[in-house]
Amino acid sequence: MSEFNVLLQKEFREAWRSWKFLWIPLVFALFGMSDPLTNYYMMDILNAVGNLPEGFDITMPNLVPADLLQASIGQFQLIGLLVLIASFVGSISKERANGMATLLYIRPISFASYFMSKYVVMSAVGLVSIAAGFTASVYYTFILYGKFEVTMLLAAFATYFVWLLFVSAITLLMSAAFKTGVATAGAFIIIFGGQIVDAIVGVFWTVSPWKLPVYGVQLIRGTMEMPDYWWSMALTVVLLLIFIVIGIYAMKKNAAMAKI
Amino acid sequence: MMEELSAVPWAVIAPLLVVQFILVIVALVDLRKIHATNGPKILWVFIILFVSLFGPIAYFIVGRKQS
Amino acid sequence: MTTLLEVTGLTKRYAEKIVVDALDFKLDEHTSTALIGPNGAGKTTTLSMLTGLLKPTTGSVKMSGGDLRAMIGFLPQYPQFQPWLSALEFVEMAARLSGVPAKKARLEAQKMLEFVGLEDALHKKIATFSGGMKQRLGISQAIVHKPKLLLLDEPVSALDPVGRREVLDLLKGLQQETTILYSTHILNDAEEMTDQLLFLRDGKLVEQGTLREVRQRFDEPMYVVEFGSEEEARLFADQSEKYTKAAGCYVHVEIHEKNSNMQQLLERLSASPYTVRKVERKTASLEEIFMKVAKRA
Repeated sequence: MSEFNVLLQKEFREAWRSWKFLWIPLVFALFGMSDPLTNYYMMDILNAVGNLPEGFDITMPNLVPADLLQASIGQFQLIGLLVLIASFVGSISKERANGMATLLYIRPISFASYFMSKYVVMSAVGLVSIAAGFTASVYYTFILYGKFEVTMLLAAFATYFVWLLFVSAITLLMSAAFKTGVATAGAFIIIFGGQIVDAIVGVFWTVSPWKLPVYGVQLIRGTMEMPDYWWSMALTVVLLLIFIVIGIYAMKKNAAMAKI
Repeated sequence: MMEELSAVPWAVIAPLLVVQFILVIVALVDLRKIHATNGPKILWVFIILFVSLFGPIAYFIVGRKQS
Repeated sequence: MTTLLEVTGLTKRYAEKIVVDALDFKLDEHTSTALIGPNGAGKTTTLSMLTGLLKPTTGSVKMSGGDLRAMIGFLPQYPQFQPWLSALEFVEMAARLSGVPAKKARLEAQKMLEFVGLEDALHKKIATFSGGMKQRLGISQAIVHKPKLLLLDEPVSALDPVGRREVLDLLKGLQQETTILYSTHILNDAEEMTDQLLFLRDGKLVEQGTLREVRQRFDEPMYVVEFGSEEEARLFADQSEKYTKAAGCYVHVEIHEKNSNMQQLLERLSASPYTVRKVERKTASLEEIFMKVAKRA
């Protein structure tokens, strides 16, 4: 346990001293703000830009708070995750490639502790980030549109955090198993490719980790079929645990790739 | 002038400006302290300052060089 | 003397290429061993296998008692540190990960950093360190947990003469406390602190023993006589086919049967009218031995 604490402290120091705990949440906050703002001022923006054809008449859809949260989550799903994955996908593979792992791997550490210390820090940065993102989105939605019911909002937040734990597990598994380039491609394909697949043919199934972000919003809307929700949740947790176990195994197996 | 200023919906604009501002400041502070960057430092100063929003993000992802 | 580490049949094969080929050797406690050989001989691969980082294809590394990783300290040729940590933070982390209790770790780390002369840089970020400072930091992380075996890969090769002197003196100071195995291709360093030599060439152990044993094995039955002038040397060399004129005023004399040949030489020298400056036994330097071992078919 003390060994885990030492490694955790090292990882936290790195994340803290490279500003990850600050700048990634700020990015989430900015993208959380963008949708409520642009939607609210859409008419003004269009008028300001001008050049609308004669007789052009658009009716703005009547948006409810949940629509705006869903739009913000859409931003997190793309740019937010891109930033988060890019910042952490090298955390095992880069350390091996540049030799920084060597002086740790030669000590009697357990790879489970080392992997988990990285997992905890990535998840913590993710947690702070989506907290900032949700806060920003909800703040603007609140002053421009209306309010949320707090319990369901928290449930949506918790749901999104479970999805983020899933993303962290995949990112670090890729980093443990491959070199940085392949790991980045692999993580992007699974996370973003999965989203695309789910968007195109996802109507054919209801249980999937990639659906969790939307399911969180459906909790707010009150349209969620709870069995689908719980099955997706359970599947996600089981998968992320499996990914963690494989990740630890891959990290250990690839220890010899550490540059001496 | 004062009327125009008070007409600005500050509750809407202020948080946005503050977050952007902090992001730029943090990127610049880090750039000042860091040993080496990918590409010339002065280039990153301009990117952070003038490519709004994506400048600081780009700096943190690809500009910083560890080891 | 008790054996600390025993290596038997240690082999590393990558696809078709054998990098390390069936090494057998022992390290006794509190001895220093130099692993020498040309670049690409398999020195680093051998050390990597001893650290446990690299799994041998076949063969074994036995060390008396417990988890091998807890008992070794290792300094790679180009150690890489987490640059955002301070020297003290790094060495303290290294100590704790190697099993030093939390209460003692900071104190030990501080002591080791003072020992290697980094007392003024305890709280400086490693990112700002020079090459020599990093090498000393590397040594302190390798010894902070008082390992039974210290493995060093080319510990002084990358340093300038002053840094090399300092690091060698540090290592000599450690000889009493621990067992050292280090690789080098700089023979003067090996000559300076070594009880045992291991010559590697193309992954094979081609020569091993104490410095004296290896010397004796490579010693040639050869004496060198220095004359007053080159002319004298040439005239003397003509007297026997056992004498060969070397460059300058030197004549090399082969002496196989010690007493009779030696006597003959001395008689001839005293009978000759030439000025004799010096008669000495030729001793092979490690450099010459190294060249011979490296070239030997």
